[in-house]
Amino acid sequence: MTLKQTDIEALVELFGDSSWKEMHLRMGEDELFLTKDANATSPMARGNAQPATAPAPAQAPTPAPAPAQAPTPAPAAAPAPADSTDRSGWIEVKAPNLGTFYRAPSPEADPYVTVGATVTEETEICLIEVMKLFTTMRAGLKGTVREIVAQDGDMVEFGATLMWIEPEA
Amino acid sequence: MTVSRIFVANRGEIAQRVLRTARDMGLETVIGVSQADAEGLPAQMADRAVVLGPAQATQSYLNVDLVLHAAKATGCDALHPGYGFLSEKPELARRCAEEGITFIGPRPETIEDMGDKLSAIAVARAAKVATVPGTDMIDSASKAKAAAEELGYPVVMKASAGGGGKGMFLARSADGLESAFNRATREAQAAFGDGRLYMERFVEAARHVEVQVIGDGEGNVIHFGDRDCSVQRRYQKLIEEAPVTAMSPALQQKLREAAVRLCAHAKYRGAGTVEFLYDVAREDFYFIEVNSRIQVEHPVTEEISGHDLIHHQILAASGQGLVLSQDEITLSGHALEVRINAEDPARDFAPAPGRLTAWAPPLQDGVRLDSHMRDGDLVPPFYDSMVGKLITRARTRDDAIEAMLRAIRDFRVEGITTTLPFAARIIDHPDFRENRITTRWLEDQFLAAQDVA
Repeated sequence: MTLKQTDIEALVELFGDSSWKEMHLRMGEDELFLTKDANATSPMARGNAQPATAPAPAQAPTPAPAPAQAPTPAPAAAPAPADSTDRSGWIEVKAPNLGTFYRAPSPEADPYVTVGATVTEETEICLIEVMKLFTTMRAGLKGTVREIVAQDGDMVEFGATLMWIEPEA
Repeated sequence: MTVSRIFVANRGEIAQRVLRTARDMGLETVIGVSQADAEGLPAQMADRAVVLGPAQATQSYLNVDLVLHAAKATGCDALHPGYGFLSEKPELARRCAEEGITFIGPRPETIEDMGDKLSAIAVARAAKVATVPGTDMIDSASKAKAAAEELGYPVVMKASAGGGGKGMFLARSADGLESAFNRATREAQAAFGDGRLYMERFVEAARHVEVQVIGDGEGNVIHFGDRDCSVQRRYQKLIEEAPVTAMSPALQQKLREAAVRLCAHAKYRGAGTVEFLYDVAREDFYFIEVNSRIQVEHPVTEEISGHDLIHHQILAASGQGLVLSQDEITLSGHALEVRINAEDPARDFAPAPGRLTAWAPPLQDGVRLDSHMRDGDLVPPFYDSMVGKLITRARTRDDAIEAMLRAIRDFRVEGITTTLPFAARIIDHPDFRENRITTRWLEDQFLAAQDVA
């Protein structure tokens, strides 16, 4: 039994909305560690051959120094501050104009994407609203959503980073 | 309707100008800028700056939805549109009202009426303000003759269906009238398939004069005197001054009264300018149009009146009405303004954007600079080429001219080409010094003479 992408997405969502500070899950070969503590260290890293170097990057943990089996890095729930996350190779999705950022097509609906989601060029990823005119944004590339920076309902300015996507190799 | 946080929906020197007064009034300020202006002076002056969109004005400054969204999202209760961009778009004024944001300008209906040439002329006539004397359709040479006698020569025949100068014929006396009428009819018929003509008085030597007013929206209007903006190139003003000195004091008084009468009739709210054509030979003036915004050349009026027009504009918009009576406005001295454009007069005024490597204005008494530029700033290629306005004030017109020549001489600008040296040559010209210029002077005489030289 392995953790599926969708399972991880669901877990991340739940964790993000919860009051939990940390979650460590092991299922067979798979292991998942989520934390909201910037200074936390991944137990996987601790118990691994890899030296526990820098504190596991905070809310937006990098592709954690995870064991080979760990399918995905532990994504963050909370928004990322300008931190030490290594985003090299990731692509920034920027606001095309000033507007209000929405993660879901309606308040009741599920978000278009969550962290860990795989996307293609055509995948709808968010809405930008300007005076009640809603424009759907598409990913524009194949890859995996690594980080969602903008908060649902926020006013974002032109050029603001909305999310980060890691292009498919 | 009190105003506490103003959204500035503009850029450049007027954004800087509005922000300055808003800050003086203790108001909070937010500015919506394009990406190209994100690091500019106005963005730094405002309490908060938000980037609306990319450099292109259509995707930033000219986008009503973006501007409104930004104003609302930043909690602004008033919006100043500056000049240009959206300042005379009735839609912005209307939608501000719908969103509960005080638009610092006239009512949308007023902007609409004044923006349409025919309805503006109708307002002028209703207020008994003279427009260029003319006739309705004329269908025979004999009727044309009778009409011309009434209007007074010279007259110009214009094609009813016309435009672009086609079908326009001038008659200087009764002798030339019949042939002018026949030629105009033929050309109009050939060019537009419609030979109908009307006739207007022809103003050979015209000056552009205008009156600054502020109204409370209830029919109370005060004026801040007049300005002369006759130095123009392709209908763009280059040099402005206040007050008008090429007119008898009695006529000048009539001019100011006419402007007030027109705006009172329109129940005008806020700051506006009533523009007139001054017929030098006949010593008469005719209404042209109303600009329902603050104008580029407002500083010369501020300099001779001592009043901050943006301040009064904000008060009028916020329903505080007129805090001044006409008696409290006294005008003294003379002020001159030169527009500083990043253009190269030697290359037919081609825009000359670039990075300023030196910008050292002459800071002397009686010299004012309204500009958003700083040493090291980039003049972006996306917008109007104006980088600032240099203003001098003195006791007399002659002294203001001398002060301007000194100020231009001492103004060190490097990195871009500007129209400052060109402006100095204009105001140093005997025709300008002796105030003999007309709206055609710059192109027909000054520039024409340079081409020959």
